[in-house]
Amino acid sequence: MPQTLIVLMESAVIGALIGFGASAGVARMFHAPKVQGMGAFRTLGELNACENDPIAHFSFGFGFFFNAWASAVGAGALTGDVDHRIVPHWAAALSMAKNRNLAETLHNPRRMAFCGAGVGMVLISVLNTSAASVPGSLQKVAAEVLGPASEWLINPVMPIIFWMAAIDAGRRTGGWGTVLGGLAHVVMGNAVPGIVLGIVVGKALDDLGRTRLTRVLVGAVIALFVISGILRGVDLQLLEQMKVHVPDWLAQFHKTTGTTPTD
Amino acid sequence: MSHAETGAAAAPGPEGGAGSGGGTGTAKAKAEAKSGGGKVPGEGSFWLSERAFPLFVATLAAGIFAGTHLYYVYNTGAFNEVAVTALLKAGMDGGSYGAAAAFGAGFLFARIIEGPMVGILDIGGSLQTGVGIGIPAMLLAGGITAPLEHFWLALPTGAVLGLAIGWLVLAIRRVTVNSSGGTSTFGADVMMGAGNSAGRYLGPLVIIAAATASIPVGLGSTLGALLFYWWKKPLTGGAILGAMLFGLFFPITGK
Repeated sequence: MPQTLIVLMESAVIGALIGFGASAGVARMFHAPKVQGMGAFRTLGELNACENDPIAHFSFGFGFFFNAWASAVGAGALTGDVDHRIVPHWAAALSMAKNRNLAETLHNPRRMAFCGAGVGMVLISVLNTSAASVPGSLQKVAAEVLGPASEWLINPVMPIIFWMAAIDAGRRTGGWGTVLGGLAHVVMGNAVPGIVLGIVVGKALDDLGRTRLTRVLVGAVIALFVISGILRGVDLQLLEQMKVHVPDWLAQFHKTTGTTPTD
Repeated sequence: MSHAETGAAAAPGPEGGAGSGGGTGTAKAKAEAKSGGGKVPGEGSFWLSERAFPLFVATLAAGIFAGTHLYYVYNTGAFNEVAVTALLKAGMDGGSYGAAAAFGAGFLFARIIEGPMVGILDIGGSLQTGVGIGIPAMLLAGGITAPLEHFWLALPTGAVLGLAIGWLVLAIRRVTVNSSGGTSTFGADVMMGAGNSAGRYLGPLVIIAAATASIPVGLGSTLGALLFYWWKKPLTGGAILGAMLFGLFFPITGK
């Protein structure tokens, strides 16, 4: 079977699945907090912003479609906007094409799920097959331009953005964000996950104080750092860089578990 | 922004949607109230029930995980930003999967904790980055490639992960929200603000990278970004398309 056909068929299945799940989750967001929804706050806000107008929903999604298409062609990444913006907005536009009643369209998980499955099936097929048939010269441009740009975004731009947000969110959050951010860059190679966890811990302590819940949270975070540190052999590197002799049992432990530092 | 403000700001939308009549959108609330029964699934029906939630997470997660399978085999179809997908790519190209695994797992962990507290599970962090990047990176780092190589194995793998995440979210929801009364958003507002502004930085970064790659591509990228800015579209799309259009006529030389 030709590769494009396989990609097309798999994309249709994938599109129907993500469209079904994402659109039902988005419709459920309008019933939160009583019902557990799925989506994002920005999606909720954007859907409310073009409320009741199928044209507005369609054109909002269309703007991001171009972005997703460019990114799919360039790097094979469909962008998070597919699930967050294009599918929900186009499903909304489709579901209210004839009926403007929000309760029966955008807020109705059943109708949104089936509209979303249809939208997803077509959308993902188009995005993936057009990307597969792109000439090599274009892919080279994309790799040379998008590659460095996304590397810079991951490090150091995104860590700085999250760090500033943590620092501006209060002393406790800023403190936890700074400590876990620095440690995360040592342990995981990127500070963002650490800062995110720092914000979660800091805000939880701010809002709830020292409860059983926050103690479990702090314990889980510390365990996560210790375990991933050991798995990546950070303890060995630390001892070596401090010019301290590595005990034989520690070196042996890392050798047998295959967790010696790779880089 | 304090958490109390966010709680108040987030509440009107959902409440209006639920038909309580409070907050914004009175027309919307009226429409909800009018159609209590009939063909619309109401509160307590399957489509709005707790047990349906893991199923919706499972379908979405199955699709996203299979999307990563497409990316692993055919280099297209990953449900994430270029920047995050690049983390996985680094591992696929022979480097370390550590960054992708830690980044994805960290986000998944944070979102599963946050989701039940705020009533909305963020699909970007939990599913697209967690299930789509983090878990595949962990599998690949451990030498398990089968779920990513075969489509019919990728779908059930994603579905099982989604079911587990859905159940976990509901379990945490029962323990926390119902006991502490949902008094904390766990910094969701802070992270969402940072996450949204991060996307804005990619446009200028693309133009800088394009101008570094070659002069025609740089000029094309700048022009494309300017046009998209005038048309009130996200700068990034124009910068990428402009760079590619000029790169088609003036291929990048060297290297």
